[in-house]
Amino acid sequence: MDLDKQNANPTILNPSDLPSRRRTSAVHRRDHGGSGLFDDLIPQYNYLNDPFEQPVSSSDSDDDAVEAIDEQEVYDLISSISDPEHPLSLGSLAVVNLPDIHIIPPASPYSSISTVLVEITPTITHCSLATVIGLGVRVRLEQALPPRFRVDVRIKKGTHSTDEAVNKQLGDKERVAAALENGTLMGVLRKMLSTCE
Amino acid sequence: MPPPQDAPSYTIHPLATLSPPSNSRTWQTAPHPTQPIVATACSDRSVRVYSLTSFTLLHSITGGHKRSVRSVSWKPGTKGQSVLATGSFDTSAGIWRREERGALEDDFTRRRREEDDEEEEDDDYQFACILDGHESEIKSLSWNPSGQYLATCGRDKSVWIWEELEDDNFETVAVLQEHDGDVKCVAWHPEEDLLASASYDDTVRLYREDADDWVQVALINGHDKTVWWVEFEGSGMSGKDFRKQREGLSEEQTQHIELMERSGPRLATCSDDCSIRIWRRKPKEHGDHADSHTGIPSIIRSMAIDEDWLEDAILPQRHDRAIYSLSWSRRTGMIVSAGSDGKIVVYKERWKSPMTNGVRADGEAKADPNAMEEEQEPSLAEWVVAAELYSAHDVFEINHVCWARRADKGSRWEDEEVIVSTGDDGEVKLWTLDERSAST
Repeated sequence: MDLDKQNANPTILNPSDLPSRRRTSAVHRRDHGGSGLFDDLIPQYNYLNDPFEQPVSSSDSDDDAVEAIDEQEVYDLISSISDPEHPLSLGSLAVVNLPDIHIIPPASPYSSISTVLVEITPTITHCSLATVIGLGVRVRLEQALPPRFRVDVRIKKGTHSTDEAVNKQLGDKERVAAALENGTLMGVLRKMLSTCE
Repeated sequence: MPPPQDAPSYTIHPLATLSPPSNSRTWQTAPHPTQPIVATACSDRSVRVYSLTSFTLLHSITGGHKRSVRSVSWKPGTKGQSVLATGSFDTSAGIWRREERGALEDDFTRRRREEDDEEEEDDDYQFACILDGHESEIKSLSWNPSGQYLATCGRDKSVWIWEELEDDNFETVAVLQEHDGDVKCVAWHPEEDLLASASYDDTVRLYREDADDWVQVALINGHDKTVWWVEFEGSGMSGKDFRKQREGLSEEQTQHIELMERSGPRLATCSDDCSIRIWRRKPKEHGDHADSHTGIPSIIRSMAIDEDWLEDAILPQRHDRAIYSLSWSRRTGMIVSAGSDGKIVVYKERWKSPMTNGVRADGEAKADPNAMEEEQEPSLAEWVVAAELYSAHDVFEINHVCWARRADKGSRWEDEEVIVSTGDDGEVKLWTLDERSAST
């Protein structure tokens, strides 16, 4: 069956080499035998509640309530997405990498809109699944991050033969919305994201 | 000291949120041409019709489309009924009709009113017909001002023109496939049968009928990313906007107005490149009618139909993400824009002051005074930001913005307008524009 795959023999990173806040998590995960890396992190963070709703000038000593999301957390949200053709995570295939995740603060003091920029590295330069992977990353972040984040997903420059075309598609809100109403494509995405829950 | 010249002179105030809002993304809102109602295209496959008088939901049109309704357009000039066209991601366009009760009561005698009981169930929007043809999602549709033509466009890179021969009998009069990418928006000229389309291929194209065939007559390059919206200026705006006041104008200014009037209504476009551009048609010279020189009818289509559209202005950049929509006020000539960054920005045009006319705002003298004599001379007018508002839909993106005539009791003058914004939060909001001095 591997012959049908566009990249039948991808490079796979050792789980203990993946970026994580908890050095022990790799060991811990083996005990549970599942994709525990992400599960372990869930209770530690409150990013599913929009911190923007909280009054900024509250007496709460936690000054950085609004800035509760950093690159590592974004990485944790998307590294557990499954590759559409391998039973492996985007993190272990090095499709998503921590240094390629950027959080850009609001452009103006009057704005509350932050931007998350994720550059993905397809496993091979002509991988036609790059768009689907990018779409999966965008959908995952749009669902998991508070709505004050705009999500930009791009192919890392020079890693893909048609990166401009793919970037344009991934950046087009209307195309993304239409894609999510496509049952077949949604089935593929749901499968990719099933390892995130 | 006078206030800084570029300080916004208006403020945008919330008037109402149409209620109840949709539970999911709303795409676009179209004000009815004559009645105080709007129709909103919703991603939940429905169209919501709201009152601009009570700010409440009047009708929900469901059961027609299988995917998002992306675009709605009211047919102009209908009598006794409202006709709505809906364009959907399910590739089809729908036509819906509703008899106007008020009109019936005015037009007919009591005899008619006795039938009201039977008509009660007809009070809703009735599905009339479906327009099939596009291969993929319809992104925009628009009736021309006379209601004769309906233009649709979509991801299949095509623009279709439909003509309504009789009620619910539509004929395809043109399928235009000039674009190299999704066609995002179509718009009609207010006076001529001239159609504009904006696309994912970064261009804007204009079409007109030439010997029974619709052909492209102009190509506008200028944006370097997807062009999301295109809209013509209203008719006769030089009698309504800043050009209305003719006293004390210099000779150049008078000539400028005459030039603009010969060009006719301008075109505004906005893009993923965060810019808004105004385009003006180069007026045709009398000698341009090439046929008259030879007198020989050509089998090649006459070049005389081609048009040159020149960049007239770039509006001050106030958006830092894609601009999805803009709208040109038919009453004041102001432009409102909105997009991914959640801001609403209003711009107005004015004469450049003598201070800034010869010397640039940054103090740098004009490089070449002779540039004024060139064919495309720098405009004597300029666009400035009149008002801006952050987070109009909280943290959500704004998909569409337009002007509508204010219809609630609080209306302060005849023809007062409200700004109507439509967002990813499922809300349609109304805003008033208030002069800064009056609001303090």
